[in-house]
Amino acid sequence: MSAKLIKEANEQAARYFSRRHFLQNCVTGLGATALTSLLGGCNLFSSSGNGGGMPQSLNPLDPKAPHFPARARSVIYLHMAGAPSQLEMFDYKPELQKLHNQLCPQSLLEGKKFAFIRGVPKMLGPQANFKQHGQSGAWVSDYMPHFAGMVDEVSFLKAVQTDQFNHGPAQLFMHTGSARLGRPSTGAWVTYGLGSENSNLPGFVVLTSGGKTPDAGKSVWGSGFLPSVYQGVQCRSKGDPVLYITDPDGMDRDLRYQSIQAINEVNKLEYEAFSDPETLSRISQYELAYKMQISVPGVMDISSEPAYIHELYGTQPGKESFANNCLLARKLVEKGVRFVQLFDWGWDAHGTDEHTAVDLGMRNKCREIDKSITALLLDLKQRGLLDETLVVWGGEFGRTPMQENREGKEMPFLGRDHHAEAFTMWMAGAGIRKGVTWGETDEIGFSAVKGQVAVHDIHATILQQLGFDHEKLTYHFQGRPFRLTDVGGHVIKEIIS
Amino acid sequence: MTILLEVSQTGWGLFFGRFHPVLVHLPIGMLLVAFVLEALSKHRRLAILGAAVLPVLIFGAVSAVAACVAGYLLSLSGGYDDGALALHMWLGIGVAVISVLLCVLRRYTLFKKSWLAVSGVMVLLLSAAGHYGGTLTHGDDYLTAALPLGKKKTAAATLTGPPEEIKVYDQLVRPVLEQKCYGCHNEQKLKGGLRLDGIKHIQEGGENGPVLKDSLPEMSELYKRLVLSEDDDKRMPPKGKPQLNPQQVEIIYWWIAQGASPTATVKDLHKTPRIQLVLESLQPSRGGEANPFIPEAEAGAPSEKDVEALEAIGVKVMPVAAQSGYVMINAINAAAFGNREAELLLPLKSHIAWLKLSNTQVGDSALAAIAELPHLTRLHLENTAVTDAGLPALAASKSLMYLNLVGTKVTGKGLQALHQNKALREVYLYKSAVTPAEVTTLKQRMPRVKIDTGGYHMPVLATDTLVFRKEKKS
Repeated sequence: MSAKLIKEANEQAARYFSRRHFLQNCVTGLGATALTSLLGGCNLFSSSGNGGGMPQSLNPLDPKAPHFPARARSVIYLHMAGAPSQLEMFDYKPELQKLHNQLCPQSLLEGKKFAFIRGVPKMLGPQANFKQHGQSGAWVSDYMPHFAGMVDEVSFLKAVQTDQFNHGPAQLFMHTGSARLGRPSTGAWVTYGLGSENSNLPGFVVLTSGGKTPDAGKSVWGSGFLPSVYQGVQCRSKGDPVLYITDPDGMDRDLRYQSIQAINEVNKLEYEAFSDPETLSRISQYELAYKMQISVPGVMDISSEPAYIHELYGTQPGKESFANNCLLARKLVEKGVRFVQLFDWGWDAHGTDEHTAVDLGMRNKCREIDKSITALLLDLKQRGLLDETLVVWGGEFGRTPMQENREGKEMPFLGRDHHAEAFTMWMAGAGIRKGVTWGETDEIGFSAVKGQVAVHDIHATILQQLGFDHEKLTYHFQGRPFRLTDVGGHVIKEIIS
Repeated sequence: MTILLEVSQTGWGLFFGRFHPVLVHLPIGMLLVAFVLEALSKHRRLAILGAAVLPVLIFGAVSAVAACVAGYLLSLSGGYDDGALALHMWLGIGVAVISVLLCVLRRYTLFKKSWLAVSGVMVLLLSAAGHYGGTLTHGDDYLTAALPLGKKKTAAATLTGPPEEIKVYDQLVRPVLEQKCYGCHNEQKLKGGLRLDGIKHIQEGGENGPVLKDSLPEMSELYKRLVLSEDDDKRMPPKGKPQLNPQQVEIIYWWIAQGASPTATVKDLHKTPRIQLVLESLQPSRGGEANPFIPEAEAGAPSEKDVEALEAIGVKVMPVAAQSGYVMINAINAAAFGNREAELLLPLKSHIAWLKLSNTQVGDSALAAIAELPHLTRLHLENTAVTDAGLPALAASKSLMYLNLVGTKVTGKGLQALHQNKALREVYLYKSAVTPAEVTTLKQRMPRVKIDTGGYHMPVLATDTLVFRKEKKS
């Protein structure tokens, strides 16, 4: 325990130790330098054998073994930012239809707080037609006709609950396990725990569909207090896949190599002197960036895919789209990327205009993702990758069975407010049971009545499939071990085969 | 006996005796300084220091005598190994005597030439007395245990191996006693005349009688004292010393209740729900159900040399889990990996469970080597030069459950060979040369195997291109 505290204190101290501090404390500073150079002689890490790069054992992205054998080698997390309406997609509530346009009973409103609903709203019946599909008989609406054919591959979680009803905090909670800033994202935890299998690509890649970025900003793929090498690398499907990855005019690859080598030599001395883990991050990021100059354009180029694949996904090379990102996710997973995070946007169906109407704009959003998600599942399946890739789909919360009445007024379009108490997510692949529905909401889809799943349970389950005991994947910070699931989290055993 | 003991445990003698650890450090410091001053004063320019020797010496000698008296009083309380105690006592007395003698020699300026030699002998005695004193309080391996060179003693924190085979005394009870009790109940320091470092000694008990009462933990001192109030004098370990945690107390209780057997294993004893929880918590986490792609039998750690041979050519070799001897191998960064390199897999034969050779140069002849891996469950050969000619070898791969042949030239004819493989569960054939008719035959011959030839299509729907908009007012 105390050894860990000392280690953490040293790392913290190293983090705050700038050149200015060094000059201020010149006398003690020089003493420390002298001491470390003396101690350097017995430094186990000071010798390296791989051509000026960092010693193998020190590369923070080296692959590491999980706690127990994993079922998932990779994760593709599809996040519909803005929160899709479960009541128009998966959670079929015929009773709600009967209550359509009636005033919401007081009992549902007592003691509740909504983001926009004020006074007494009207109930809003489902705006889609539902049917049961597949051997499992799962309910899917006609908003997702292609995905309806995949229900026997997935496990639905119908009673997911969160405790945040605003986008930013809820997205942070969903991806970092805390509604406040500063915690590492799921992908960062996974990369910290497993490293990267492909040394030419980052372990954690983020793809956004263009348009709006998530309300919570880049923190949803940040590394928090983990070394920054574990943060998600955002790649783009349009233009340069990674910003500033091409060499500027007049800089050839050889010169680039030599300058990176020189910088890393200096950084290695820096590390030997101050043991700051961020220096290691910097070294490995330089090395990785150099390798990525070759590897990324290749893997991010979808134009070489056959016509059949483009037709399947509905992809158009050169465009920024969710479909392109789905295809990229498959390609990245094929190349050994551990965690691929997709963010789509525009799901915030309040009904303020036609784009946010549950019967218009949201239906268009469903059409945009329906084919590509189905294609992703089918493509992973035919390549034998679905067996070892965990696919997770969801938003940051759900939507109310009541029609939104912003400021107590009737809205021009049909919309639903944010709802944290019950919403639907699904998982597929990598040892997740096929054709299972777990959890149930009441007859109008307002509260979860059975099989409730907390956000930390989702995290615990993702980590479980990757071979981690979520209670043991920890990092020491501020004097105590932190984990993705904080003090909660139960593996959802019901959906694991 | 008990009455006598009570008296001696609270007398003034013991009270002063307990000052021994405080007092001993005075002569150690003083006499050492006296010796150093003596030696330095030999130097011409430092001769003046000679004047300081006598006062320091007198102070040291007086404290040495006081330490001896206190030490003797302390020794009366008992609980120490007699041999080591005697040695420490006589060495201490020796130090006191020689320091007094040196005072006399110095005071009356006798045998001036012998002063340095005599003080040298005194320092040697002092060191020896100090060392044995340390041995008495801390045990004889206190120093060497911290030596970084020696073999480390490991206290079993988590247990490996099948839980039913755990030896209750050796693997559960003894580590607890070692950690929390041996310090005062060992060969040198027998507090209460009791040694706990060995089943024989535990059975013998201490000066107050046996500590085990057959199968009755509540009547056995070994358990009873663990749960007394912390302020109770009889509480063990005494107030201020590291205490047993509830799990450890539960282990002791269960062991005594089950007859305190020196040899029994977990499966021999009746398990209460409480001990069941304790035992589970000691097991390394397996995280739910066992992974179907990992053999049940454990494997030892692979040889580092064999792993390095593969890593040298850019192949990643990873244990499937932190405590596992099985490895997963991925040649994703070794595109040049070919048939010759496949030979490097053979030394790791008994460890390889998952093998990813997608997009490498391996061909049919590599499959002969791969078929020799007895625990291989998952094999990726996507986009390799593997053809029908190599497949018969895989028929003999006895654990193979997952086989990925996407993008290879294999045909239904070659795949016929695989029907002899009884372990196989999934075969992926997308973009291979298999025809639909051949797939039908294969599926009939291998009903238990999931054969996926891919090439999926989605129906074209009117809604695929339908954009929903606000209805225009007519």
